Amino acid sequence: MESSVLFLLNTSYAVLTLALVVLGLAIIFGLLGVLNMAHGEFVAIGAYCAFAVQSAGLPLILSLPLAIITTGAVGWLIEASVIRHLYKRPFDTLLATWGLSILLREGIELAFGLEYRSVSEPVSGSVRLLGVDYPIYRIMLMVALLIGFAALYVWYRRSNAGVRVRAMIANPQLATIVGIDTQKLARLAFAAGAASAGLAGAMLAPLVRIEPFMGIDFLLQSFFVLVVGGLGSLEGLFIGSSLIGGAESAGSTLMGGTAGYVTVLLISILFLWLKPEGLHARR
Amino acid sequence: MSMQQFTVQNLATGYGDLQVLQDISFDVGAGECLCIAGRNGVGKTTLMRALSGELPLISGGIQMQGTEISALPTNRRHGLGLSYGPQDSVTFAPLSVKENLTLHYQDQNLERYEHLFALFPRIRERLEQSAGSLSGGERKILSFTRVMAEDAQVVLLDEPTEGVAPENIDHMATVIRSTLQARHSVIVVEQNLSLIEAIADRVIVMDHGAIIHETANGPELRNEISNLLKV
Repeated sequence: MESSVLFLLNTSYAVLTLALVVLGLAIIFGLLGVLNMAHGEFVAIGAYCAFAVQSAGLPLILSLPLAIITTGAVGWLIEASVIRHLYKRPFDTLLATWGLSILLREGIELAFGLEYRSVSEPVSGSVRLLGVDYPIYRIMLMVALLIGFAALYVWYRRSNAGVRVRAMIANPQLATIVGIDTQKLARLAFAAGAASAGLAGAMLAPLVRIEPFMGIDFLLQSFFVLVVGGLGSLEGLFIGSSLIGGAESAGSTLMGGTAGYVTVLLISILFLWLKPEGLHARR
Repeated sequence: MSMQQFTVQNLATGYGDLQVLQDISFDVGAGECLCIAGRNGVGKTTLMRALSGELPLISGGIQMQGTEISALPTNRRHGLGLSYGPQDSVTFAPLSVKENLTLHYQDQNLERYEHLFALFPRIRERLEQSAGSLSGGERKILSFTRVMAEDAQVVLLDEPTEGVAPENIDHMATVIRSTLQARHSVIVVEQNLSLIEAIADRVIVMDHGAIIHETANGPELRNEISNLLKV
């Protein structure tokens, strides 16, 4: 009983945090068709924001706005200076964002050095849930993410701005024809995708090792989720996160961490091979 | 001389290195309907894409009420009062019909469509359906209602009747005529000679990327154009 509750909690945690990490990549790919190879570096910048805030002796909650503003601004600048010249040239955007990822990584190394950093949890201790002790920070994080994703889903499905975003994904030409400023929307989307990656980094900072190369793992994981879930919809993002997060969690619980990673890799290869569209591709 | 509502001067455009249109010039007055005819592949849709801003010009100019618009992106031209119904991909397929009609309005009010729903009741019946589930003709009608309800100074329509049933083509002519009465200008690329006869003031015939003939609407129009369109 206890082990299954623990497994359930661990899996929910894995799925929710994975969905948070993938969100930025999915926004940028879904709206702009750009596979952002620098995605992981935005997560890293967010995590370093948390480190900087804690080092300065400030309350850790301040790292959330700091990460959003920093990564959002960096994303905005990158779109305005580089990406906007490269739309509809997928290979060029791949190369450009890959180059940017190296640049950002070197920038982080220059500012903070190569050594591992850590951020301590803002609330320590654990709560007893259905017979198991579970870290309170993880529970808080899961609740916040659930509320956040529910709000995002309602916004995406119901609000006028959400309809416009879906319209731009469905038919960008027609979107400009009916008067939507798709250039502005594209810049906002890139900044929002970067900011959500930064937010993910700041929220996960107490739970991961922080070093300049940390972004690569996040990029890979996010990429697998998009492969499995399909591109361009929130539903696909959740399905992909559930499958990848669930498989990794189950694999590691049953057979250890490496097995979890191998399971994820196998699933992704099978999907690329047999169902390259993903489970919930946009029509 | 009164200022023309819409003027095209020596327009040339194309795709990449390939020039498709050369030396296109015409103007359209307030309350006037210009129809553009020609066989498939002579550059009619390319011309509409250049006028709407989807395609940059190689040279020449486009003026709306005296303002040069050829450097403006499509959404800015829309803001200045240019409405455009393209030939293909005319809807946001995954969105509902209702969302297709309201997403570009802050108030999301369907009242502005009432007079159009009266003529095309199918659209009202399908408001909650996704636009992608409509037939080709219904999608064209959806696009037509979206464009005509915008009440813009200048309306561009690229083959609005493609796949549309004859009685609905008649309704389209009625809507276009009332727009013209409101002193708006309409430019229509069209194959359907009956619609051309019903709405046109003047007709331009294109071939090989240039204007080869210009004529006024009249009893001889059908013969005149049919001869030019013969392969």
